[in-house]
Amino acid sequence: MNTQITYSEQELVSLLRQRNEQGFAYLYDNYSGALYGIVNGIVTDKEIANDVLQNVFVNIWRKIDSYDASKGRLFTWMLNIARNASIDEIRSKGFRDSQKNQSLEENVDLAGSSIGPTVDDVGLKKVLSKLKGELRVLIDMSYFQGFTHEEIAKALDIPLGTVKTRIRSALIQLRTMIQ
Amino acid sequence: MSIQEYISSGIVESYVLGLTSEDEGREFEQMCTKHPEVLAARTAFELALEKQAMENAIAPSLDVRNKIFEEINSTGKVVTMQPAIARKTNWFKYAAAASVILLAGSIYWNIMLSNKNKDLQNNYNNSVAELSDIKKDIQVLQANPTVKMAAMGGQAASPTSFATVYWDTTSHDVYLMVNNMPKPASDKQYQLWAFLDGQPVDMGLIEITEKPLQLYRLKKAQAAQAFAITLEQKNRPDISKPAGTLYVMGKL
Repeated sequence: MNTQITYSEQELVSLLRQRNEQGFAYLYDNYSGALYGIVNGIVTDKEIANDVLQNVFVNIWRKIDSYDASKGRLFTWMLNIARNASIDEIRSKGFRDSQKNQSLEENVDLAGSSIGPTVDDVGLKKVLSKLKGELRVLIDMSYFQGFTHEEIAKALDIPLGTVKTRIRSALIQLRTMIQ
Repeated sequence: MSIQEYISSGIVESYVLGLTSEDEGREFEQMCTKHPEVLAARTAFELALEKQAMENAIAPSLDVRNKIFEEINSTGKVVTMQPAIARKTNWFKYAAAASVILLAGSIYWNIMLSNKNKDLQNNYNNSVAELSDIKKDIQVLQANPTVKMAAMGGQAASPTSFATVYWDTTSHDVYLMVNNMPKPASDKQYQLWAFLDGQPVDMGLIEITEKPLQLYRLKKAQAAQAFAITLEQKNRPDISKPAGTLYVMGKL
């Protein structure tokens, strides 16, 4: 989209706080693609991803007053809204029901003892695929599926301290990969 | 811990990605106000993350944009309703009284049925939720191209038994999912074996929990062609060789 004006982050925040639609349109046109990429990394169904993105932007519009610039950049705040909304969606009942239809196919796969197809990796997921097997599982479970460190420790039967240190070291690797 | 060590501990990334606990988050926010280096590291990672996300942007359809603007414009609008017209007749009183009684009975039945229905729905939802959690565990393992799977089918002693082994070929980690196996007697215990050139190698004893389809992490396996589970006597002196009954077995 061609937008003639560019806003600084502070200007954008103050426009949003005044419920200025032009500011909001600018925000959408500049950031919807990046946030949609994040949503797509977690929610694989396209229709559902569209609904999630819609919710994300409506929430940004409604909750802009709770954004606190001292805690991070506007984009980081939006990114976390997008991630949380996506994880809420994959954990919600509706999503489970829609996934249920696929269960037969998956069972066939299991019975045939084949290894399931890997999803096309996009964005952060692509970076993630470069991590070593175990670290990858940990980041996938914590970042993309929203499991707490405690839940991961329980599910994989490894000590909580180990989960923490491994996730930290995986994140340090991730940082060097995206920089 | 020095400030530099704190910065490079992974806390910056954890905080920005929303993976810190409340306490860690609060501490990090305090560190940011006290130490400009911490704040600078946070901003640097935020910018890198934003750049990364921008480079991997996927354009949503125009339809989504329209719906969002429709929704934010519709909030706060008031919908007016037409008042209902009241009518009165004499016979109507009796009919009304009769219908109230009928209605009360019908409501009573409705509530009864609705409660029953709710119970069923709750049971169903819980089962679906449990299944979904399990499926997620499996998906994590299946999505990893280095993980191989062995589906172990029931043998003569227990034909309906079924269990699955996931083996990470790079880290050599072994995960076991007990899909369906009978609960062992209190003096017995299941044991997992890896087969290498026809020889069984002890992969560890399995403490069966009540949770269905639990994922167990066992000993690492350097190499294996097949996996099997036997039912063994508890506390037997030499657990390096199988002595009990074969329950399930499957090739990689």
